[in-house]
Amino acid sequence: MSTPADAPRVELVARNVGRLAPVPRPARPVSWERRLLGWHSLLVYLFLYIPIVILILYSFNRSKQTAAWEGLTLDWYLRLFHNDLILRAVKNSLIVAVITTVVATVIGTLAALALARGSFRGKGATQAALYLPIIIPEIVVGAALVTFFGVAQMRLSLTTVVIAHVAFCISYVAIVVRARLAGFDRSLEEAASDLGAGPWDTFRRVTLPIILPGIVAGALLVFTLSIDDYVITSFVAGVGATTLPIQIYSMLKVGVTPEVNAVSTLLLLLTVVLIVIAQRLQQDPTAQGGIKK
Amino acid sequence: MNRNVAALGAIVGAVLVISGVAGLAGCAKKAGETLAVTQPKDAGKLNIYIWSAYLPQEVLDKFTAQTGIKVNFDTYDSNEALLEKLQSGVADYDLVVPSDYMVRILVAEKLIQPLDHAKLPNMANLDPRFLDKDFDPRNAYSLPYFWGTTGFGYNKAKLGALDSWQALFDPKNKGRILMLDDMREVFGAALKSMGKSENETDPAVLKQAADLLKKQKKLVATYNSGDFANILAAGDVDIAHGYNGQIAEVVAKEPEKLAYVVPKEGATLWMDNVCIPGKARNVENAYKFLNFIMEPEVNAEIVNGVSYASANVPARKFIQPEILNDASIYPSDEVIGRCEFLEDIGDTTTLLDQYWTEIKAQ
Amino acid sequence: MPEKKRRSVAAYFQVLPTWMVLGCFFLLPLVIMLVISFGQRGTYGGLKPIADLGAYFGSGEFLANYRRSIEPLYLSIYWRSLWMAIVTTVLCLVVSYPIAYYIAVVVPVRFKNLFLGLVVIPFWTSFLIRTYAWMLILRTEGLLNTVLLATGVVDQPLNLLYTDFAVMIGLVYGELPFMILPLYASLEKLDLSLLEASLDLGANKVATFFRVTVPLTMPGIVAGIILVFIPSIGQFVVSDLLGGAKSILAGNLIQNQFAVARNKPFGSAIAFELTAVVLILLLAYAMYTKRKGQEVLL
Repeated sequence: MSTPADAPRVELVARNVGRLAPVPRPARPVSWERRLLGWHSLLVYLFLYIPIVILILYSFNRSKQTAAWEGLTLDWYLRLFHNDLILRAVKNSLIVAVITTVVATVIGTLAALALARGSFRGKGATQAALYLPIIIPEIVVGAALVTFFGVAQMRLSLTTVVIAHVAFCISYVAIVVRARLAGFDRSLEEAASDLGAGPWDTFRRVTLPIILPGIVAGALLVFTLSIDDYVITSFVAGVGATTLPIQIYSMLKVGVTPEVNAVSTLLLLLTVVLIVIAQRLQQDPTAQGGIKK
Repeated sequence: MNRNVAALGAIVGAVLVISGVAGLAGCAKKAGETLAVTQPKDAGKLNIYIWSAYLPQEVLDKFTAQTGIKVNFDTYDSNEALLEKLQSGVADYDLVVPSDYMVRILVAEKLIQPLDHAKLPNMANLDPRFLDKDFDPRNAYSLPYFWGTTGFGYNKAKLGALDSWQALFDPKNKGRILMLDDMREVFGAALKSMGKSENETDPAVLKQAADLLKKQKKLVATYNSGDFANILAAGDVDIAHGYNGQIAEVVAKEPEKLAYVVPKEGATLWMDNVCIPGKARNVENAYKFLNFIMEPEVNAEIVNGVSYASANVPARKFIQPEILNDASIYPSDEVIGRCEFLEDIGDTTTLLDQYWTEIKAQ
Repeated sequence: MPEKKRRSVAAYFQVLPTWMVLGCFFLLPLVIMLVISFGQRGTYGGLKPIADLGAYFGSGEFLANYRRSIEPLYLSIYWRSLWMAIVTTVLCLVVSYPIAYYIAVVVPVRFKNLFLGLVVIPFWTSFLIRTYAWMLILRTEGLLNTVLLATGVVDQPLNLLYTDFAVMIGLVYGELPFMILPLYASLEKLDLSLLEASLDLGANKVATFFRVTVPLTMPGIVAGIILVFIPSIGQFVVSDLLGGAKSILAGNLIQNQFAVARNKPFGSAIAFELTAVVLILLLAYAMYTKRKGQEVLL
């Protein structure tokens, strides 16, 4: 049990976790290697963003068809704001994605922790169960879920969409965080608890900083999966629960208009703004705490 | 560490705030709209499940203004998706719009309810040519909504006038052909080119059709059921198998270059129909809506907005002449005469699926 | 210090939410589908009612769908899907490792999340629109051909769209973040002093990479391979759009059964078979690493 007198020692451990855990040292790759890596990464980013640039460009295309270019216009953006269907779909998608990310990340991280550190009965079964959502094709998952909701008499709605998303996203977080935890040195945790830190303190100040990059990676993955999921969502969405991918796919049969490009561009803008804000927050010295650089 | 948490928290928080704002903006807009019109007291709601772009928002707004019923609508892109939803028993829709063959399936699976014609006086406006079809005798369960044909669009500036399915099997057009990615429609085209019915169930005939399609495959650039009209308009293919409505739209933009034709051997006549699911909770509102969309002016407004043909006779007075006179949207009796509806072929579906798999796998 | 094998009570609580969610909303529905896979397609696509359950199970007829799914026609389709997934995974790995390394090791700490975010942002746009954009790029009159013709690299436009090449580009493109992120998570904790030590001891850079870096980041590599390879087997939308729907992969096959043929039993059977194969592969890998005394990474 930790006492107030132990606080300074816990603080000491927490402050120095950064040094005990592996960190990049000043010995960085030599400059020509760095340049090579840099060029490769630039090419990859270009590869990632060329379709996005095209997508944005065509949101200003006067022509309704996706191929012919007929000049610049802001029409589609204006029409977008009167397009209740798309706006509603965006709202639904964001709500589902955010809730799913939070819930799935928490549950998945806990599972990864248990798998990595604990020894418990049913460990193998848990691992197998966590792999199933990745292995089983989405269409089977979707059909299974809608059949299940039918049997359980649960009316389809946005809630059923969130449930479905959480169910298949937990695994992704668990796998990524598990990878991060591989080789995790338990002596760090034991040292902290020997010094008097309670389990929550140990977790918060010793374990969490080490696995946080894995959690962030997992959360980003889940958000990505949820916001663009079509197959499973199309099965379990109820009245008024149309998400953006469903809305877009349904427009496919009668022609996808550049309004879709417009909404994608706006969402892109939103996420870029958010990332920049987050970046600024990171650099704000008053937001720092815990680990000293 | 705290920075990362703060960053994450900021992102989550900002997204929540923005979606909240978007949601509020949406609600405020709706509230504003309804305040602008004096409302009859709250008359409930109506949940519609329909093909995308089949219902202009203005028509729904008019309905709400007139009756006070709030309309929600969701869209689907295939009959099978509709079937799946209805089979679950927990989808909450009051009105659905299945295609011809799906109506028969929904009836057999007891997923839609019989229509009380006494409550549908505007039924008298419907064109008798489209009533009492095999898939729903005496329209016990459905009423026609839109109808059309599945022929092909082509580049007439390059290929001259075409009138036969043979063009889609002609090696001269190699790599310039698009077929729908639809097992029944593609087999339908093959069977029609052989002079047979699209609802053929004789395994020997089907095998012949399958062989024809296997030979055709190397002539096909792509199978695509969504974007066929745009692909034709973009010039990526010269011949595009497809539904008349979308192709008519691109033809109208370039009438000297493109054309649509229902081949002389015949083609699919398709019809999308309105039905009321068995588990609908707002049945009275559904009937009100059905009557509403069968009023001539309202029906014309829908047709003008969507460019597909409806089965409403008095509505023709109000339909735009460019649409009414467009032979691809409103074909002559003679053209309709050589078309047929796709029927469900029951257990033969498995054989057809086997052939379809073989064709795609080679 | 060897890990003490004590039963961890905390672990039970940590996996409880997972079991609650997965058990109820995933495993249970799957069991229902498994039962369905033993059935037969009804005339309209539901299930055919079976008069005599005892005879049905006793005679082995309930395995009819499974037997049908291993006919040569279908085996060739699985093989093709498997091959495509392998190539996609390998390409993804090769492309992703350097950039993950760059972000994890070279990029200053304060920018890491930014660079990581930039990797993921393109995938928060609609998958369909992104794929359409690729179609615009790869068309005969598209961006790529325009550039190639203008710079004189080719004098005839290349026929890129509706080919296997286009499908591969689309697949690799779509799976990159699923390889980059796990690799990053593992690379980020790479202790460079170990690499230094290896170099100091006389190994050259290549040897150091393969004998120090790669083994240390193996958890990330394995995670990435799993997250890319397995879903790739079941994908079909990219091959439909960019490949012109001219080939049929395992994903298309299952999709067709559910959507068009309305043969849920057969579709489920195929899906479960694929699942079984993958699970066996994973199990084999787990047993292999355990036997070698390494930490099981699954």
